Amino acid sequence: MIRLDGVSKVYKGDVVALRNASAEIQRGEFVFLVGPSGSGKSTFIRLLNREEIADEGRITVAGKDVGEMSSWKVPYLRRQIGYIFQDYKLLPKKTVFENVAFGLEVIGRPRQVVRKQVPAILELVGLSRKAERLPDELSGGEQQRVSIARAFVNRPLILLADEPTGNLDPGTSVGIMRLLDRINRSGTTVVMATHDRGIVDSMRRRVIELDRGVIKRDESQGVYE
Amino acid sequence: MLYRLWYYSRETFVSLWRNLSLTMAAILTVAISLSLVGSSLLIREGAARATAQFQEGVEFIVFMRADATLEQDTAIRTVLDTSPAITRYTYVDKEAAYVEFQQLFSDKPELVESVTAEIMPPSYRIVPANPETGNVAEMARQFGEQPGVKEVATATDAIRQIEDFSNRVSQALLVAAVVLVGVSALLILNTVFTAIGARRQEIEVMKLVGATNWFIRIPFMLEGTIHGLIGAALAVPALFVVDHRVLAYFQESDAVPLFRGFAVPDGFVWDTSIWLLVIGGVVGMIGSAVAVTRYLDV
Repeated sequence: MIRLDGVSKVYKGDVVALRNASAEIQRGEFVFLVGPSGSGKSTFIRLLNREEIADEGRITVAGKDVGEMSSWKVPYLRRQIGYIFQDYKLLPKKTVFENVAFGLEVIGRPRQVVRKQVPAILELVGLSRKAERLPDELSGGEQQRVSIARAFVNRPLILLADEPTGNLDPGTSVGIMRLLDRINRSGTTVVMATHDRGIVDSMRRRVIELDRGVIKRDESQGVYE
Repeated sequence: MLYRLWYYSRETFVSLWRNLSLTMAAILTVAISLSLVGSSLLIREGAARATAQFQEGVEFIVFMRADATLEQDTAIRTVLDTSPAITRYTYVDKEAAYVEFQQLFSDKPELVESVTAEIMPPSYRIVPANPETGNVAEMARQFGEQPGVKEVATATDAIRQIEDFSNRVSQALLVAAVVLVGVSALLILNTVFTAIGARRQEIEVMKLVGATNWFIRIPFMLEGTIHGLIGAALAVPALFVVDHRVLAYFQESDAVPLFRGFAVPDGFVWDTSIWLLVIGGVVGMIGSAVAVTRYLDV
């Protein structure tokens, strides 16, 4: 599903974000990216989505060469990739329902689809009764559920999560991880960058550890360190 | 498809409304600049019509009486053909005079209906060898004394001055208008830029969930185009005011009878209006396209 071959990325000022990284992630896998701040976790994720372009090497996502892809095709790549952030990126003036619907509307899905899919996904994330609330009326955990709903409403093949529990307390994080686990079990590949030792150690999934842009460790059913 | 149209118009109007003060400024600037463009064109057209009979070096016109005899007419023609003081002349017969009259007064059908070709005076439009004013006046006096001649109209200094004046006015208006059109394009650019800024979060999310670049751009392009079109639409009534008040003022002044021709028919004003709408739309589209390509990183 995802394949990196000798990928390097250097930012301005010779900041090395990723150096000669290679990895292969199968369909339906759940992968934790761990490592200290600045180790290249976010770059790893942003390269998959073509928010960044690798300086060297080759990245394949869902059978497509991401680096060679012409820019007008990028939106179609992104429709196959859900994306979750530490800070949720919800639109403050839209309700929960509208935020999730937005993800479908802007890729031109017809209204019937929106009317059917949005309530179903809100049911999945457990927010059916808060559909008409605004984001700032929700707790952090609930806001992250909305963002997961928006990322998953289009049933993407891949879910990328950049520190999704970074702003949440441990109890709430467990709920979010259960939800991601459930989504993963439905066949979606999940790649999640995290600092959260407790989560990584309790889930026992594949762990890729990055250190100053280099893949230091890649083990299935791994722990944080 | 219908849903998408609805989406575009909703997004566009929400954005217009959110940004009301800048939107108004942009629209008004477009309206003012296009009013000037239009006025310049109207004055140009009015001057061309008013002086239509005195184009291409024609300095004076000998109008024959409608009932002048063939002998009287032949006498005039013989002088014109033989005199070295006459470079060339054109003869405008009753039919041609009537056609011209119809054109000049096409917006006053009651006036056109009140005349027939039969009562129109035939005339000679004369280009003298020496266009100096004193000379022209003397020749006009001599022709005026011939039998069968109704009157002689000369392109007096006053007429030439007014022709020159309207040229200058329309050119000055046009220069101001071009500058203002540039200003309105910049204002539209700025308004769209502000609109993009106000929706940065939404745009970011749109890109991440895979909205196409054009899907993101179109509401902003529409916004700029609408500024241009509304501004142009406001300039249209302004043009009619110019036509019916300002140009009409010239027509009604008795000082220079020829200025009665300073009439621009409504048809011409409508044609000009269509051009203004086209210009307005294009200016809006260009302004927003520049904003979108420069500030919308998609």
